[in-house]
Amino acid sequence: MTGKELLLRALEKRGVRHIFGYTGGAIMPVFDSIDKLGVFKFVMSRHEQGATFMAQGVSRASLSTDDPQVGVCMATSGPGAMNLTTGIADAQMDSVPLIAVTGQVATGVIATDAFQESDVVGVMMPICKQTYMPLEADEIEKTVHEAFYVATTGRPGPVVLDIPKDIQNQKVSKDYQFSLENFRPNLPGFFYHPTPAREPLKQAIELINRCERPVIFCGHGVIGSNAGKLLQSFAEKTRIPVAFTLHGLSAMPADHPLSLGMMGMHGTVEANRAISEADLLISFGMRFDDRVTGKLNEYAKNADVIHVEIDPSEIDKNVATTVAINADAYRTLHVLVGDPMLTAKPRRRWHARIEEFRRVMAADLREEIEGGLGVDGKLLMKTIVSQLSEMTQGRDIVVPDVGQHQMMAARFYNYQTPNSWFASGGAGTMGASLPMAIGVKLVRPDERVWSISGDGGFQMNMQELGTVMEHKIDLKIMIFNNGYLGMVRQWQTLFFDGRYAGTPMLSPDYGLIASAYGIPYRKIETLDQIAPAIQEAIELEGAIILEFVCDPSEVILPMIPAGGGFDDMIVKRPQPRKEGGKR
Amino acid sequence: MRRRAILAYLLDSPGVLQKVSMLIRKKMYNVDTLTVCKSRKPGISRMTITLREDDEARVRQVIHQLEKFTEVISAKELDTEHSYWREAAIIKLEIDGAQLDALRGDYNFEILEHKNHDTHIIHIAGSTRRIDAFIAQLGEEHIVEISRTGVAALEK
Repeated sequence: MTGKELLLRALEKRGVRHIFGYTGGAIMPVFDSIDKLGVFKFVMSRHEQGATFMAQGVSRASLSTDDPQVGVCMATSGPGAMNLTTGIADAQMDSVPLIAVTGQVATGVIATDAFQESDVVGVMMPICKQTYMPLEADEIEKTVHEAFYVATTGRPGPVVLDIPKDIQNQKVSKDYQFSLENFRPNLPGFFYHPTPAREPLKQAIELINRCERPVIFCGHGVIGSNAGKLLQSFAEKTRIPVAFTLHGLSAMPADHPLSLGMMGMHGTVEANRAISEADLLISFGMRFDDRVTGKLNEYAKNADVIHVEIDPSEIDKNVATTVAINADAYRTLHVLVGDPMLTAKPRRRWHARIEEFRRVMAADLREEIEGGLGVDGKLLMKTIVSQLSEMTQGRDIVVPDVGQHQMMAARFYNYQTPNSWFASGGAGTMGASLPMAIGVKLVRPDERVWSISGDGGFQMNMQELGTVMEHKIDLKIMIFNNGYLGMVRQWQTLFFDGRYAGTPMLSPDYGLIASAYGIPYRKIETLDQIAPAIQEAIELEGAIILEFVCDPSEVILPMIPAGGGFDDMIVKRPQPRKEGGKR
Repeated sequence: MRRRAILAYLLDSPGVLQKVSMLIRKKMYNVDTLTVCKSRKPGISRMTITLREDDEARVRQVIHQLEKFTEVISAKELDTEHSYWREAAIIKLEIDGAQLDALRGDYNFEILEHKNHDTHIIHIAGSTRRIDAFIAQLGEEHIVEISRTGVAALEK
């Protein structure tokens, strides 16, 4: 046995089915063995960054299935490995388990600036959970298993394995033995507390029973631990409304009467106002990111905070907690829901107050969505997403890119399927959607997957249409083309006096692009074309690209300006300003 | 700003020092002093880091994030009231022998080498403040070269 074979044996044992990547000089031996072994489906991305997002798609989408898998991507040394960085940093920000294997130049020439050499471990260290560089074939199997353990245990994250070419080819020693059954990772500094301690839990229950204006926060940890159902019964039992972080969406049905929708910068009025007036925040698996809190010293000033979080370094990081529960969201909810001390209060006044908040923007939004057209007669993204939501009954999987359309998709799709929303959140990587949707579709083949991008993000990774074509991935690709980087343009409208610097952009003829890849294409310019195009995409077997011509002046409201507090929330659309950008 | 000492026990493996220093940089501190030595347990190092910070919560953050590294077994703050902080210095001096002898009453140092009539190499250990005072009393102009170890700290 050689190093490369041990690597693949370990990946196979860990249930890996797909390998995404791009070969090259320093990883060739491993690719050769993949081919010989024939147990993995190899999916070639057209750029290494694409491979990282495909692998992320696998990890994110499969964790709620019976067969959770960790996404694996592979690249060669130097430029190959460097092209992985964005996707790895993205996985780290969003706590997505991921294994990245990179080839490295042979140990004899390491640190001599050899051809395609770069210090992968040095570069990756600050942007991933752990890095490994095995220096003997005998170490490889143990290292891979430890890497999987680290990537998936506690708060998940990406792990990088940088394997020198000569180690890939090295034979193991004669007396080499490894047994997975007896394998225990040797990590004396790795602590993992999945079970909630009794004392803080009792304090939490006391606070919950006593409070008058509570809000439950549903974060990524709820999705990650498959605790959506439990969270829903906790909310129903206590009659407490639930606000979602970007990554908490789809943990429970979006139209549930207790749902307040998304919180934070582009969150709903009801979520943000409720948080402002709350006397207790009960947060599960989230990290009080700046997009969620706004100005920290004005954040939820009158509220006690219960913070359930698996990563102890997140507790008290941004928001001071009253009760900290360092544990897994699922286990905590499981104990909470079953605890006889937990009581339910109707809290009629609080729910009536929330109904008032719900009405603040409801009429405006309804009017906008029903109108469906912007000032220049082009389509509104809100309307497209709402129609998609209706026509699919909110049951499909949505993989947005990053920007305005992402917020529209977060706000106006009526999520019904648990774990059906996958987005680049913390890092906000444009171009993530198309490759991530490919990974999602591979592990959820029976569900319909919509990749929604803006014209900016789509052009960042549209080379992955090559992968869609080659592997006949059945993706429904939507491009919301408004000729601008919409989100930045919105900020320019609101805070930069309408000077559109660096945001207008030309798109290629997407029809020609689609036909070059042999993918059907429809351009949608009028309201009456939306439904038939979506219907066609639903009925069609195989990929399709739908380009929607959208209004560049559409804004997503409410919005809390960056660095602002919840009181600064903008709920009314400002008067349209003169056009500043050139087309 | 207040000087803080953080004690960490960590695996003695390549790259750990880089991780620790990278975290401190990321949190926008400049390392004041950093000392590493073997602990009594094989394979585990003991590190003392000092940096300047008034905000207690931010120091706790650094400690939590240090502990997040799988290589860091435990980390805690050592405050001056409950721990000893000491450092050592080796100093090459150009000074009159009698002048040096005059300091003996106040400071405990060892003459490692007496090269010619007025060049000495001495060793002194004590708290940072004590060594600073010694240098001040000696007079900077007499110092040819100085090597200080940085702080080693131990809980009472």
